[in-house]
Amino acid sequence: MLRAIVSLLKTLNSETEPGQISLALCFSMIVGFTPVFSLHNLLVFLLVLVLRVNLSTFILGLILFSGVAYLLDPIFHLIGLAVLTSSGLEGLWTAFYNMTLLRLAKFNNSIVMGSFLFSLVLFAPLYFIANKIIMQYREYVLAWVQKTRIMQAFKATKLYNVFATYSQLRGGV
Amino acid sequence: MKWIRWQGLITFVVLLLFVIVAWFLFVDVAVKKIIESKGTKLVKAKVELADADLSIFPLGLFLTGLEVANPDAPMTNAFQVDRVALSLEGAKLLRRKVIFKEMTLEGVKLNTPRKTSGAISEKRSRIPVVSKESSEEKMKWPSFKIPDVKEILQKEKLQSLELIASFRGDLQTEKEKWQSRLAQLPDKNKLGEYQKKINRLKSGKQRGLEGILGGAREVLTLQKELSRDLDLIKTAQKELGQNMTSLRKRMAEVKKAPQEDLRRLKEKYSPSPEGLANASRLFFGKKVGNWTETFLNWYKKLGPILERVKERKHGREVVKPTRGKGVDVRFKEQEAYPDFLIQIAHVAIEIPAGLVKGQVRNITPDQDILGAPLMYEVAGVNLTGIASLKIDGSLNHVDPFSAKDTANILIRGYDVSDMDLSSDAELPIVLKRATADLEARVTIAGETLKANSLIVLKSVNMGTPNEEDTNSLMKALFSVISDIKAFDLKSEISGTIQDYDLKLSSNLDNVLKDAVKKQVKAQAVQFEKRLLLVIQEKVGGSMADLETTIGGLGSIGSELMARSHFGDELFKRSRKSGSGAMKLPL
Repeated sequence: MLRAIVSLLKTLNSETEPGQISLALCFSMIVGFTPVFSLHNLLVFLLVLVLRVNLSTFILGLILFSGVAYLLDPIFHLIGLAVLTSSGLEGLWTAFYNMTLLRLAKFNNSIVMGSFLFSLVLFAPLYFIANKIIMQYREYVLAWVQKTRIMQAFKATKLYNVFATYSQLRGGV
Repeated sequence: MKWIRWQGLITFVVLLLFVIVAWFLFVDVAVKKIIESKGTKLVKAKVELADADLSIFPLGLFLTGLEVANPDAPMTNAFQVDRVALSLEGAKLLRRKVIFKEMTLEGVKLNTPRKTSGAISEKRSRIPVVSKESSEEKMKWPSFKIPDVKEILQKEKLQSLELIASFRGDLQTEKEKWQSRLAQLPDKNKLGEYQKKINRLKSGKQRGLEGILGGAREVLTLQKELSRDLDLIKTAQKELGQNMTSLRKRMAEVKKAPQEDLRRLKEKYSPSPEGLANASRLFFGKKVGNWTETFLNWYKKLGPILERVKERKHGREVVKPTRGKGVDVRFKEQEAYPDFLIQIAHVAIEIPAGLVKGQVRNITPDQDILGAPLMYEVAGVNLTGIASLKIDGSLNHVDPFSAKDTANILIRGYDVSDMDLSSDAELPIVLKRATADLEARVTIAGETLKANSLIVLKSVNMGTPNEEDTNSLMKALFSVISDIKAFDLKSEISGTIQDYDLKLSSNLDNVLKDAVKKQVKAQAVQFEKRLLLVIQEKVGGSMADLETTIGGLGSIGSELMARSHFGDELFKRSRKSGSGAMKLPL
């Protein structure tokens, strides 16, 4: 866990594309919010591994969103139930219900449907907001932190030297 | 291609393979755990499985060593199955439908002992069944021994004695009251003084008009005083008369009380053949009650298997998923199938008499979707001690609002041996041997329970284990019992599955009742005589005391009467003397 946090900090502080970090966060939101053993998550895992997104961010995001999901389950249930019982969409859901693949996806479960829709709606906004925050962080916070006396003092310590050497040896930035 | 990492694809495939291999390795353990936990939750007692094996080719599930503990007797398995083989429909499984085409249960045994307790720590919330057992236990065999009268009177309070004590107290108070009142009333001395005055007035000679007028005034004053005193005496006499009437009425009631005590105690303790009018209930009531209760307890446990809780939300049917959270919303299917279905189950149950084989069709909690009820039929195969056994019926929940479950039981030539009909210490009766034919039909429509059964017992041999140690009455009874060669037993259960009423009748009832009627009557007469004698002994003395006390009050009445007569006499004389005194010498 600590290693993942350090890794995330290093990533944030590195030259990694903000989009790679934000996308990892968005994917982790889908997997974290929806039940893990859902069919759509197989596709998400494939995308996470094939697309060059940051894995440390994905793992941390997954832990964070899974925890939040427990609190949001009643909301997911209400959203899912409302959508699934909407008379306007009945035809669509009936067609889906008769498709083997979608039955396997368990789309007719109120929590699966509610959490999936919830994360899908938040996907794009989260991507852009996270991008913006990372860029702002790198521009202002990181520069400010580097200049603080504490950081200057820390950089002067042997511990920092050891950490930096170790990071370089591990191929860190 | 900055955004693509192809090695990720390889990682994904490797991970996927890893998951598949892990699934193959652990699926059996997972299935075993799921069956055990779900079963335990359903039965509310331990459900254990020795092994589970999920096979892919052919798709099926094999379970071995299934043990289901009896929640009411945790050291016993309600049933155990050596091997269960289930064949799955793969195509339906992809649509999340668990459809077993066939299930075979081999080596089913009932009520087998367990090595460890099958109880679970969870508090069981048993649905209270208003059992008939308690009322059966309250029913006791009639006692044919003449009860000891002295023992009875030691534990029973005689109401007549209580009445006598209370009446005696009241009488004493009355007596004291009247004695004190009598003392306050004008007595013979006072009346004697009046007499003296009258004599004096009569003999006295008045001189002149003044003397005559003075004498007349004296006479008038005397008459007034005498009249007032007489009024006091007569009022008291009248009140005493009224009190005496009421006291005599109470005395009459007190005199009747011993008879009432006799009637009450006779009714309670006198030997009577009436108890035998319910012999069938005494013989079989508890057994039939226990069978009914066991049957109903298991029937209630079948509830979730027969019908799943379905709700309607926003006009759509929703069901709680078997695993996971939220609800599953159902939509119209092109080919409607229940989520879980065992199309046919072949059962072979090993009972002490041999093997019972049969089939159960359409096991599903979604009968409304399947459109067919659960049907079952089992029959005995070459049973020892049972000529034929057949049980069939249906559990119809196709329309959950008019659910109807039926069971038909037909047993022919069942050899009964050494069945305790009565474990009563005074009247132990054993059905040593008989051949029974049973026909029963049970219907449960919603909550309403209705069951009828007829058992015909032939070649009957009944008796008692200790025939020497009995009195003449019981000997007569046992003689009749040993002569009985056949009898029938009819039972009728009606009510709800929570609160039902059990009625039992048999031609045995009248046979037993008639057999002991004469002897019991003679014993009752003897008992009555003894009881009356002892009651009279206890009450007789007190009753005589009461009579004496009332007599004492009577003497007060006589005294009052005497005073009243004397007063009247004086009053008459005073008038005569008065008129003489008023006679003017003109």
